[in-house]
Amino acid sequence: MTPTQEPSQVVEHLFRHESGKMVATLTRIFGIEHLTLAEDVVQEALARALQTWPFYGVPENPSAWIMRTSRNLALDVVRRQKVFRDKQPEISRLIEEENPDPNEAPFSEPEIADDRLRFIFVCCHPAIPPEAQIALALKTLCGFSVTEISRAFLTTEAAIAKRLTRAKQKIRDAGVRFEIPSGEELSRRLDTVLQSLYLLFNEGYKASSGDKLVREDICLEAIRLTSLLAAHPAGDQPRTHALLALMMLNAARIPARVDDQGNLLRIQDQDRAAWDQKMIARGVVHLSRAAVGGELTEYHIQAGIAACHTLAKDYQSTDWSQILALYDRLVEIDESPVVALNRAVAIAEVHGPQSGIDAVNSIADLRSLDAYHLLHAVLGEFEWRLNHLESAAAHFKKAIDLAPLKSELDFLTKRLRSCELR
Amino acid sequence: MSTTNEYMLIFRGTDWHVHLSPEETQQVAGRMMDWFTDLKAAGKATGGRPLESTGKLVTGKNGRVVADGPFAESKEAIAGYFMLQVADIDEAVAIAKDCPTLAYGVQVEVRPLMDVCPYAKHVPADQQLAEAIA
Repeated sequence: MTPTQEPSQVVEHLFRHESGKMVATLTRIFGIEHLTLAEDVVQEALARALQTWPFYGVPENPSAWIMRTSRNLALDVVRRQKVFRDKQPEISRLIEEENPDPNEAPFSEPEIADDRLRFIFVCCHPAIPPEAQIALALKTLCGFSVTEISRAFLTTEAAIAKRLTRAKQKIRDAGVRFEIPSGEELSRRLDTVLQSLYLLFNEGYKASSGDKLVREDICLEAIRLTSLLAAHPAGDQPRTHALLALMMLNAARIPARVDDQGNLLRIQDQDRAAWDQKMIARGVVHLSRAAVGGELTEYHIQAGIAACHTLAKDYQSTDWSQILALYDRLVEIDESPVVALNRAVAIAEVHGPQSGIDAVNSIADLRSLDAYHLLHAVLGEFEWRLNHLESAAAHFKKAIDLAPLKSELDFLTKRLRSCELR
Repeated sequence: MSTTNEYMLIFRGTDWHVHLSPEETQQVAGRMMDWFTDLKAAGKATGGRPLESTGKLVTGKNGRVVADGPFAESKEAIAGYFMLQVADIDEAVAIAKDCPTLAYGVQVEVRPLMDVCPYAKHVPADQQLAEAIA
């Protein structure tokens, strides 16, 4: 028996996305201290979809079905468990609200958006360590499983489970409230939230040998959450749009990042036709929304640099002078030697490889980059361009020793060989 | 062997899906939907229903004991069934092998439906009448 080619009519990632939405809403209803219960209820709702849809078909409104089922299961819990007897306002509201139309969603879009935003502020609370923040956001906000998260980060399920437990414990200990802060507190907390979302995006974007597909999905989830934040009064700030632009302009290049053998391609070797033009367009929109007001954040600058790369017609047209100007500003804000190294690359493009070498040698705290394979790869490139092949080979060898990924190793080995062949 | 050409596929296992991620749950649901839809379209499956995992258990004389249940080891608990209309048991078994949840430990039992009288077709017509009157 051969199956038909017709795909099931359920939108891609629907269950994962609905899971994220419903966990947030049920957390609001049950209370933040019952987060695990909220997760269990949503899991049960999806299980019921799995058990019934094959027999009865996909419901007319699958999203509403999942919401309705989550809500009804939540009601069951509330009626059964003593702890909900004193009927907090959210619980009373849940019980009283009637919603007879099975095709109508029991929770409104704005309601859900608010709940998800509250949850973003909870996940990104400064009391929670960064690793635990990411695990919690991915599990509760984005609907990934412990297994998927562990595969993305090349660690064990036990390690991820531990981070989740830690995050929930911190929430309890710190008395984190399920709310969007306001006033002064909001501005402070927004910075932390943006930092966390940036970290989340970077974790997904990092080319690592963890499950590639899950990592790409993580980038897209970071974009979805930041979009949600940017669309809400609480988060609609220029720096949020700058972060969003930065994410989109980088993520747009993901489809071209890897060749058929799974090797990482440098930007000059990527097929630009494979870049996601729609996402680039969206990124540009947010870039313009970011260019408002007097504030210039790190996200603004990084978004500007990403724009220079992504909007260039081809590699030769890349405006390196503009990129260098941006790096000049970035090093003022961010003193990390990695940023300085990236600036050196821009200098070499504008002023030649010897200037690039000089720039590298004048990096403060250069020694901290000693174990960073890209330092040696960059120096190797500069020396190669100056035709100092022995020196270049020495640098590439060092880079090869330090390279963490097979794809990078393959690339560096080719560069080394090109020194020997010339 | 069934002379009605009807077979029931009984799906056993009610908690195999507990650790699936939302993404995986959706994928498996999709595969199950496609499987059942294709069987119905081909006229091989005539129906099927899922069962709630627990209900009540009535036992004892006059059904005097009513308890919540069954709590059979969940690997054996019946999750649902399909009704098939196919040529023979081999075909029913071949269909059963396509069940997408087998990979997760679900068991598929293939049971022919009994005919009114499996031997009726072999009995001469007047003997049937005699038996009916007697």
